[in-house]
Amino acid sequence: MIVKTLLAAIVAGLIAGVFMTAAQELRVTPLILHAEEFEGEAPAAPGQPAGEQPAPTDHQHSSLSGASTLSNALAAISPVTPAYAHEHEGEPEEGGIMFGMSRFSGTLAANLVTGAGFSLLLAGISLVIGYPITLANGALWGAFGWLAVHLLPAVGLPPELPGFPAAELGDRQAWWLATVLLSAAGLYLLALRREIVAKLAGLVLVAAPHLYGAPLPLDISSNVPAVLGAEFAVAALATTLAFWIVLGIVSGFINDRFLRVN
Amino acid sequence: MATSTVSSIPLSLSDRLATGIIALMIGAFLVFGVGLANSAVLHDTAHDTRHSYGFPCH
Repeated sequence: MIVKTLLAAIVAGLIAGVFMTAAQELRVTPLILHAEEFEGEAPAAPGQPAGEQPAPTDHQHSSLSGASTLSNALAAISPVTPAYAHEHEGEPEEGGIMFGMSRFSGTLAANLVTGAGFSLLLAGISLVIGYPITLANGALWGAFGWLAVHLLPAVGLPPELPGFPAAELGDRQAWWLATVLLSAAGLYLLALRREIVAKLAGLVLVAAPHLYGAPLPLDISSNVPAVLGAEFAVAALATTLAFWIVLGIVSGFINDRFLRVN
Repeated sequence: MATSTVSSIPLSLSDRLATGIIALMIGAFLVFGVGLANSAVLHDTAHDTRHSYGFPCH
């Protein structure tokens, strides 16, 4: 039964990960590729074969929207794209995508793993606090997951495009992780505890990381147009909201269908 | 508290907690690997995923 419960969560996460990959391709990935064109002339990735041409975006961008679809398709097929150039500024460690996968399959694999990971976390919280995820409340579970992992951290650290100015990576990761944990605890106290004191404590937990303040970059100038950043932040949040709601509903469906005794 | 609400999942309390904690640990490991781990290979593979999930990235 334990294994079955874990498998149910993993399956729900994989389904949501496939959905996320399709949803990303609509808006988020094109914006990432577009932003990378402004990222500056960093050296090419060491792993890149010498004969590999950069994705031919320049002459195709003058034509209409079909061109960007084509360059997206090329970027998806190509094993290494110029997109990763920014990774290698003075870093001794060589990058490159695992197992020689294409950019698209790397993203798909990462989405599958992330989906399974978030799904297990959601199921784990549900089991520990004793509130089952059902088809009826799955969307709410998903929405709260999104609030804790995406919207509340995005108040301090909005989703970044490649080439955006940002503070020290370690500081941002620590703030992000702390915010996710505090937000999740705060939302639990706000939504699932009846006592007024618990609700007040929940509010304090949710607000605390924002009162402390997210790590900010010293220099906020960037080559990437601001409009792209605004479009990307909204697209990323909307896409992850869809992901979390699908994840919650699929988790609830699987729980109702396969794990219920009666 | 709230144990009465879990009647739909046929696990005893200790099994439920154990399963929950295992799920949290595996889930945290997977999300950490994709989203936060400081490895260039993991970063490049999960690059677009990291950006679109809003994980702090490079």
